[in-house]
Amino acid sequence: MLIDDDQDDQEIFSMALEDINSDIQCVMASNGIAALEKLKAKKPLIPDYIFIDMNMPRMNGMECLQEIQKLDHLKDADVFMYSTSSDETMIEKSKALGAKDFIVKPPGLALLTEKLMQVFKMQAGR
Amino acid sequence: MSNSKTPSVGTDLEQVIEQLRKSEERYHKMIAEVEDYAIILLDADGIIQNWNRGAEKIKQYRESEVIGKHFSIFYLPEDIQDNLPERLLRIARENGRASQEGWRKRKDGTRFWGSITITALHDDDGAVIGYSKVTRDLTERKIAEDQQDEATDRLKALNAELTLSEERYHQMIAEIQDYAIILLDPEGNIVNWNAGAQMIKGYSSEIIGSNFNVFYTAEDRKRKLPETLLDYARTHGRANHEGWRVRKDGSTFWGYIVITALHDKSGALIGFSKVTRDLTEKKMAEDRLVAYANELENRNRELEQFAYVTSHDLQEPLRKIRTFTEIIQKNEGNPAVVSRYFEKINRSAERMTNLIKSVLNYSRLSRGNSGFVNVDLNEIMTQVQADFELLIAEKNATVQVDKLPVIRGDHQQLEQLFSNLVSNALKFTNSDPVVRIQSRFVGTEQIINRPDHVQEQRYVEVLVADNGIGFEPKYADLIFTMFQRLQDTQDYAGTGIGLALCKKIIENHQGFITANSEPGKGANFYVYFPDRTPSQ
Repeated sequence: MLIDDDQDDQEIFSMALEDINSDIQCVMASNGIAALEKLKAKKPLIPDYIFIDMNMPRMNGMECLQEIQKLDHLKDADVFMYSTSSDETMIEKSKALGAKDFIVKPPGLALLTEKLMQVFKMQAGR
Repeated sequence: MSNSKTPSVGTDLEQVIEQLRKSEERYHKMIAEVEDYAIILLDADGIIQNWNRGAEKIKQYRESEVIGKHFSIFYLPEDIQDNLPERLLRIARENGRASQEGWRKRKDGTRFWGSITITALHDDDGAVIGYSKVTRDLTERKIAEDQQDEATDRLKALNAELTLSEERYHQMIAEIQDYAIILLDPEGNIVNWNAGAQMIKGYSSEIIGSNFNVFYTAEDRKRKLPETLLDYARTHGRANHEGWRVRKDGSTFWGYIVITALHDKSGALIGFSKVTRDLTEKKMAEDRLVAYANELENRNRELEQFAYVTSHDLQEPLRKIRTFTEIIQKNEGNPAVVSRYFEKINRSAERMTNLIKSVLNYSRLSRGNSGFVNVDLNEIMTQVQADFELLIAEKNATVQVDKLPVIRGDHQQLEQLFSNLVSNALKFTNSDPVVRIQSRFVGTEQIINRPDHVQEQRYVEVLVADNGIGFEPKYADLIFTMFQRLQDTQDYAGTGIGLALCKKIIENHQGFITANSEPGKGANFYVYFPDRTPSQ
């Protein structure tokens, strides 16, 4: 799942996943509240990976991360922060709140594809 | 005087003579026996004719040793040289008597202090036939007197010294101009006052008798600061304090004061000394430093925000442009994709241009109030409405502007401020926007959601209200932070700088901005300018 208010970034993210494996299913949410609706639905969505943008309207990435951490059925999901900014304090804070890693949005599709492959390989090889 | 027997002429006469003789004898005897006075009979030349026991006792000469000698033998050489004995006789001769006190000499050469009265004796014709000289030894009294005099002189000298010292001390305190030195009684009433006090506090001697709390601000008096300081000095010996004090003309100065309790020998409190130094200049310098430090801190924060801009908001379009370029390269043969992503590149570039413009606008905001003029907010609103004429028509918007005041400010900045607020109101209202602009004068207590550090004074409040989508109350502060967007960029275009710019403009005008709203219920933006009714 990708939670990001930027539709360009949603599109780029989908393209990168397509390049890795066209079988990967990705649910998009434009903000934290919309994402939580889906994650807390009667038939809840249980993604393997959740990527959260930092700078979002209504509920910022950090608040969204905290809410997701409260959900029992998502205990096994790997949650990543996914943002343009690379502020040290934000990185530390998100990791302290339970994010697996803080991924800085790379300048290019190939770079993003490569980054995501690394993430999946690493998590798969645990 | 002879006491030879007179032959009797008759019984009566004999009796009379006998009575006279006895009387003279008694008289003689009396004189002879007097011990405390030397009683001497001198002839007209000052030669000793007679001598009594007192004379012998006081002057140590026996009668036989002095009879026939000049009475000057009792005088000191310097007195003789000075002709004192002759002078005394002359005075007695001319005035009937002469009195004198002075040192005289005994037989053995020792001195005694004699009090002398010489009386001229006359015969029936009035011619001087001799002198009686009565001398009293007043040595003991003289010594006691001398000692007394000496002690008195010593005391007088000491007293003079003390007086001089006290005068010098008083003078010194009185003349000191850099320190206000005041003497207070135990209740804090002013007893004494120096030149420094007059200079620093502006009062002259009319202040004596008043309580020293007149130097304190109404607020300090209300919280009983003067009493607290006296109490502290009473129990601890002294009290120090730094703070604003009030001069006679009502102006204030920053005083450093030391109040010291004064005690008498028994330890009882007799009052206080209060030394005040005017440290206004030092305080102002310190305040300027603090203000400068704050200013630097603010600028630093702004720089940090700029750093964040470059790291985030300016990178974002660049990152996208690079990504879109890559996608175009991969899909060179697909004109639809190429055209779509060229369009996206264009939009990113445009967004970047807008961002750079906004950041520049923000950083170019001049500081300080040197360029402040009287600005008629009604004129500003007319201009802003003209600028948005097309958008207002397009959105079928209504803009209602009440009568607004004239304020001191920067014309260009104020136009930018209201332009941003009106633009915001129009932007976040989807159908038939109604934007209301009205103003009133308010006291600090009437301001809802006022920031903590707001100065107590009257403000001009300008409300910009809309009937738009509003926002969650918890974001009321956050919206004024740079690049904080509450809405999806897709639905509401914007750089995230507009309200941050508004906040900065208002702070340049020593005011502040607040907002309140609820989702779907419109938003109210309150702008506060200090009420400085401008000179026309």
